[in-house]
Amino acid sequence: MSTQERERLELLQGTLDLLILRTLIFGSQHGQGIARAIQQTSQEELLVEHGALYPALGRLEERGWISAKWGVSTNNRKARFYSLTVAGRKQLGRETTKWKRLTAAIGRILEAREG
Amino acid sequence: MFRRKRKASDFGAEIESHLRLETDELRDEGLSEEDARAAARRGFGNVTQARERFYESKRWLWWDHLWQDVRFGLRMLTKSPGFTSIAVLSLVLGIGANTAMFSVIEAVLLRPLSYIHADQLVSVFSLWERGGVTMPYSCSPPDFFDWRDQNRSFSSMFAYRTTESALSGRGEAKRVRVVIATAGIFSTLEAHPVIGREFTAEENRKGADHVMVVSYGFWQAEFGGLPDAVGKTIELDSEPYKIIGVMPRDFHFPLRGSDAYLPIGFDDKVLTQRGAHFLSVLGRLKPGVSAAQANGDLAAIMAELRKRYPDKDGKWGVRAERWSRALVGDIRPALLVLLGAVGLVALVACANVSNLLLAQATKRQRELAMRRALGAGRSRLVRQILTEGLLLAIFAGAASLLLAHWALLGIVRFGPKDIPRLGSVGLNTTVLTFTLGISLVSALLFALIPALRSSTTEVNGLLKNSGSSSPRAGRSRSILLVGEVALSLMLLEGAGLLLRSFVGLRALSPGFDPKGLLTLDVSVPDARYRSSLALEGYWDQVLGKLGGLPGVTSVDAVTPLPLSGDDFSSSFSVEGRSIPEESQPSAELRWVTPNYFRALGIPLAKGRTFSDADRLGGARVLLISETAARMFFPAGDAIGQKLRFGARGGYEGNEGEIVGIVGDVRHFGLDAPIAPTFYVPLAQAGMDGATLVIRGQASPAALGRVARRLIQEMDRDALVGEPVMFEALLASSLGQRRFYMMLLGAFAALALVLAAVGLYGVISYSVEQRTREIGIRVAMGAARSTVLSMVLGNGLRLVVVGLAAGQGMALMLNGALKRLLVGVSTTDPPALLGAAAVLLLVAILACYVPASRAARMDPLVALRFE
Repeated sequence: MSTQERERLELLQGTLDLLILRTLIFGSQHGQGIARAIQQTSQEELLVEHGALYPALGRLEERGWISAKWGVSTNNRKARFYSLTVAGRKQLGRETTKWKRLTAAIGRILEAREG
Repeated sequence: MFRRKRKASDFGAEIESHLRLETDELRDEGLSEEDARAAARRGFGNVTQARERFYESKRWLWWDHLWQDVRFGLRMLTKSPGFTSIAVLSLVLGIGANTAMFSVIEAVLLRPLSYIHADQLVSVFSLWERGGVTMPYSCSPPDFFDWRDQNRSFSSMFAYRTTESALSGRGEAKRVRVVIATAGIFSTLEAHPVIGREFTAEENRKGADHVMVVSYGFWQAEFGGLPDAVGKTIELDSEPYKIIGVMPRDFHFPLRGSDAYLPIGFDDKVLTQRGAHFLSVLGRLKPGVSAAQANGDLAAIMAELRKRYPDKDGKWGVRAERWSRALVGDIRPALLVLLGAVGLVALVACANVSNLLLAQATKRQRELAMRRALGAGRSRLVRQILTEGLLLAIFAGAASLLLAHWALLGIVRFGPKDIPRLGSVGLNTTVLTFTLGISLVSALLFALIPALRSSTTEVNGLLKNSGSSSPRAGRSRSILLVGEVALSLMLLEGAGLLLRSFVGLRALSPGFDPKGLLTLDVSVPDARYRSSLALEGYWDQVLGKLGGLPGVTSVDAVTPLPLSGDDFSSSFSVEGRSIPEESQPSAELRWVTPNYFRALGIPLAKGRTFSDADRLGGARVLLISETAARMFFPAGDAIGQKLRFGARGGYEGNEGEIVGIVGDVRHFGLDAPIAPTFYVPLAQAGMDGATLVIRGQASPAALGRVARRLIQEMDRDALVGEPVMFEALLASSLGQRRFYMMLLGAFAALALVLAAVGLYGVISYSVEQRTREIGIRVAMGAARSTVLSMVLGNGLRLVVVGLAAGQGMALMLNGALKRLLVGVSTTDPPALLGAAAVLLLVAILACYVPASRAARMDPLVALRFE
């Protein structure tokens, strides 16, 4: 298992919500699918403990940014599917802008040279 | 609202589905089924923790915990029924007594009067200032009109008096309760007739005043509620009155209501009689005006009147007081003292239950330690104990309503009739809210110490050893017990003081012997007996006929009757003494038949009593009481003096010569001072009403019936009251004092029982805890008497500390009882020592039972005890 050996990055506080919302922009997905998608899209760089995903999903659901209902997966398993709400889409926009500004700012500081 | 949004089982299913999907995917990637399952689990992390986190993230967790605590608490309470029943019973006594007492306070003091904006109504009365003493007094018509017309604080004001009249001309004469008032009554009380009209200011003049507004009840009873009653004329005291209106169904004035409202027929003369004080006055304050402002306003007016009429108003002041407050004058402080006392009972009950809970907590130490060891937080354990306390209090609060209900039935039935609105007590919403409140507060009070104590127990040591009580818990229990004893002593002392005061008053002689005497009010419409001569003849006839009845030993008449609440006073002048009119002395006046003094056993001290010869046309004669003789004729020269009454608007135009001195009578009740009194022969006065005093062999009811029939045969329109035994009047004159004494006595008894139970519980418990130790002592040869005195001594040491503490607090607080005591000081040694003795005796009994059990203990059994 190639993924196990390399040390992966732990998520920064609060970024998991953003990643979940972003993942759901491609359509509804169940918890396991979201976890896999984050892992794969980040090219296995990010460490997502699957168990930690669910409190975040619950939180987003409570705030009305995602909604959930039971459905059937591609391989015919019962699963709870999450999808982005209108409010969630807006929130994603806001969070993305914020994140980009943050990383740009941090990047500028890290790149800065004297003189 | 109380349901979680998402069930834990649904979350569980989602985790299951996650693991399955992940397993599927890993297997597709080439892992074996078994490895895939393990890897999926690893990848997920701690499944249990995820479930728990889900569980705890939900907002209604506290509700779940509460529900768990409640269920667990109920199990604990049912598991130890002995503890539970004693705890609940203690609380029922404490909360029940408080609920009953608060109901009385609510009905008598708190409930608003049933008038619109009743808080604006104030009672206005004259103040009689003489010799440094000010006494509230009725008002005179001219003063009333000046106040009403000159003030700036009242939107409206009216004067009234209440009386009883005979409704005649409609079959047998009936007694009706009448309010005679100025026209302002309607605007001041903001109540107006539902049918017809109210009377006007013009009808307050003599001659125009023969109209009446009747109450709804009277209208229903006399006219069957027919609208044509308005316009009809009926006879009151043989004079015609035209009904002009009917008041609303819920209108009652004064508090108990009346049958009819009549205008005051003022004549020109009375409008100038500034000294004729016979009116009650009520006013309605303008919005935003305080009683203090109104008092300032009225005082300024009165100062002006005093200057303008120094001879009539010179000694008079005026005062306004909220009507709701004025109605309960002396009753209010007494009830508040009792409320404080019943609060002490609740504290004793709480201390008791707290003690029981502490003992219980020691037994449960292992259970609590186990829960802590398994991860229960400290706050969770505190909450558990508090929840159990709340359960106890809520059960007790509900059960106490039954106790309070019975207590209120007794209070309504046997309570004094002269406490306004006492008859209307009931368990209404206000009272129920209070009960709920006091239940919750007491739960906090009694459960807090045990809750905090149990949460601090040290887990390790407890799980290891057998769980004997910690010394700190023992100290809490001792302190609580000392508190119980101290509070009980205070209540017992209070009850003892009231009892001593009451017994002292009961032992006083009223100045006459009421035994076996029946009293019966009789009055005749004076319109038909206009002359004194006709009235004299009437009374002769009544006394003669009744005296001739078989079984009747004596019949006499008096007015006003001692202890009836009625009185008559007048100023007087002594011939040969020149005293300015406004500083003339004043004394009580009574009209009696010649044999009255012998029938009541009032002793003749000097001179002679009246004889049958003292009649109209004969020489006018007077008797005076010993107090009057001492006050007005200190030289002992009373007999032979000539007096004249009524110089200052009292009883006009009577005079007479003092022919004898008789013993004092406590006319106003055993607890009131003796007033100087003059007696006038009834035959010389021409009274249209008097009270017959009958002694006979027949039963009072039968005697009353026969007398009534005889009197009404003689005159259909004569009004005959209900027969009342004189002794009953005497007893009811102390009615309020008896009521207060009974209540405080009941509270003290409750506290005593509670303290005894508490003491018994604590001593029994300590004996149980020390079983091993006592066993060893006995095995080593300690005498049983040594064990007995050791246990007894331990208990009584606490009691003595409690007695000392209680005595200290009582010395500070007994002052509150001062107003309720007559002839007894607040440090009365017999009351205080008696209370302490009773408490000590009960305490010895409560300690003796467990002590003797300890002394009889079999050392072999005790040593094996675990």
